[in-house]
Amino acid sequence: MNDDIARPLESIAGFAALLRDHGMKVGIAEQQAFVQAALRLPVERAARLDPAWRAIACHDVRDWKRWPELFESYWHPNRVRGKSRVGGQTRPSRSLQQLVQSLHDSMDGGMPNRRQSGSDTALESPLAFDEDDGGLQRAQGGSSRTTDALHDRSFSQWLPQDLALLQSLAEKIARRLRRQLARRWHDDARGHRLDLRRTLRASLRTGGLPLHPVWRAPRREWPRLFVLVDVSRSMETHAQLFLRIARAFVSAMDARVFVFHTRLAEVTPLLRSDSAAVQEKVNAVTAGFGGGTRIATSLADFHSVHARAQLARNARVWVLSDGFDADPPECLAQELARVRARGARIQWFHPSEAPPASQAMARVMAERKLVERFARLNSLRDLSEFAQQLR
Amino acid sequence: MTEAELRESLHRAGYIADEGLATTLWLAGELQRPLLIEGDAGVGKTALAAALARARGQALVRLQCHEGLDLSQAAYEWNYGRQLLAIRLAETQATGMKEAELFARDYLLERPLLRAISSEQPCVLLIDEIDRADEAFEAFLLEVLADYQITVPELGTLHARHIPQVVLTSNGTRELSDALRRRCLYHFLDYPTLAREIAIVRSTLPHAESALVEQAVAFVQRLRREDLAYTPGVAETLDWVRALHRLSMKALPEDPQGLAGTLACLVKTQDDRFQLGEDRVRQLIEGRRSVGVAEKAPQPAGT
Repeated sequence: MNDDIARPLESIAGFAALLRDHGMKVGIAEQQAFVQAALRLPVERAARLDPAWRAIACHDVRDWKRWPELFESYWHPNRVRGKSRVGGQTRPSRSLQQLVQSLHDSMDGGMPNRRQSGSDTALESPLAFDEDDGGLQRAQGGSSRTTDALHDRSFSQWLPQDLALLQSLAEKIARRLRRQLARRWHDDARGHRLDLRRTLRASLRTGGLPLHPVWRAPRREWPRLFVLVDVSRSMETHAQLFLRIARAFVSAMDARVFVFHTRLAEVTPLLRSDSAAVQEKVNAVTAGFGGGTRIATSLADFHSVHARAQLARNARVWVLSDGFDADPPECLAQELARVRARGARIQWFHPSEAPPASQAMARVMAERKLVERFARLNSLRDLSEFAQQLR
Repeated sequence: MTEAELRESLHRAGYIADEGLATTLWLAGELQRPLLIEGDAGVGKTALAAALARARGQALVRLQCHEGLDLSQAAYEWNYGRQLLAIRLAETQATGMKEAELFARDYLLERPLLRAISSEQPCVLLIDEIDRADEAFEAFLLEVLADYQITVPELGTLHARHIPQVVLTSNGTRELSDALRRRCLYHFLDYPTLAREIAIVRSTLPHAESALVEQAVAFVQRLRREDLAYTPGVAETLDWVRALHRLSMKALPEDPQGLAGTLACLVKTQDDRFQLGEDRVRQLIEGRRSVGVAEKAPQPAGT
């Protein structure tokens, strides 16, 4: 490969390497498309390479939003304030106009045969990348190379890898909760039944002969998950973590989430929307609740009003609270027993090292069958340990 | 067609594209690659494909995706009824019939994908809301988009006569596979800027008063910055300005009461309706972001 063409190609390969370092999937095919786009644009319109390459290199919204900054920092570093170099890469020519010009020149003069052989198919480039070319070795990484993507911080304090870990943990836990048959049939243990309506519909295309029987698959459902988050004053520092965890379960398995301190309110719809203002809205919901924590009253409201129809066999109820209750101490155990009587399985998560030591909790713990498990939940590590222990 | 010409003809077809979008469309045509467009509902993704077809003077073939979409609805289906008829007819005439005759092109019902591929003239193929289709269908689509061919087991592989310009749209309700994304050029269609949206409304509703259009579009742009469950798109802006124009308004009224009935064009959920009280609407009309000090202070009794 001659020098004239190697230099612009090297620039493009360097740019692709920068994009890959930022988590974008830019492999050989994309680089070839970069070159094709540059060859098809007239030299005087070299500035249009920005949107053209953007369409080639970006594959989702995240890439799309990050593009302008990366493009500017590589091709116009002088315009980027407070930065002089990017990624520590060597700098060949960085002028887009020069790049397009030299690509055009080399194609016109140097390799007429190759240009002719360039077909019109989408992924074949008129240029063949030479695998032995040292300058292009960086380009060979392809998108399969594992790079640490510098994800944007969508939440104020959490690192994105934490959020991803949280989501994957929630999905892992959801998978471990066994799906149950929605309905059991006496006549066929496996539950396969003929779907008469769809069979008849399918028979229309064979002139009324039912040649394509359609079977109903047995429906399996995840157990219903209810997450009750204590947002009282004593839990102020932990509530945010709990709500974020609850939110992961809303998206992973359609859990219903309630917050309580003196009263109970459902916040599932708020957690479902991906808005930065979620925390503010949850705060607004609980703002008028007043001081103290009334866990038993809130639980009574939960099982008798909000979850009355859905608290059935094997529903899971997770209470995230420190267990300090302003109601009479015996009430909490009574209300938990009512929830248990509906068939729901209760797990209690507390932020402290040991299970809560309040009077109300002492009664709950005395009755072993009420709460299936007490577990500490103060970090993602605790959640991951819980995921491993889950049956 | 250069990108400037394409932009111009899109404008004539009633779609105002910015330079970046025009370049992407041009490049998709040059490289013969499918174009994946993502963006919120109502920003004009489907309208873009329709306008592209008009601008190029080509037919638009549209495939609307939905859950459970299968080959028989998207690509082709054998015309069983006609095949049965042909068999009965052959029986009565005692002429006999070979199996190959039964599986000829005559008995093949062309669905959008096959229609686009076998079209005599170049066309624009719009695969709308691909995120609603199942993953299995997405995998099938890879063959069509990579090689522009469809394999019918009984007939063999049918190649495209003219490579259609494929436009896929997605609202992001499901994450698309990397394989599909990498076969496509990508464009994220955001809500238009103030100037561009005014131009869009003016070109669609040339009879509306200029002041009304400018004020209404500015109102919608401010409304989009609110934390709404459903953010109004360009289609909603057009509906609203059309409604205001029908009511013979020359400009936005200062009193929010005057807008109360027409806001249904923009605000589509009960929560949003509740959130947009009269005061908030007044602030949006006036262009204020937050609640003023005077309004925060409690009103004296009896006023």
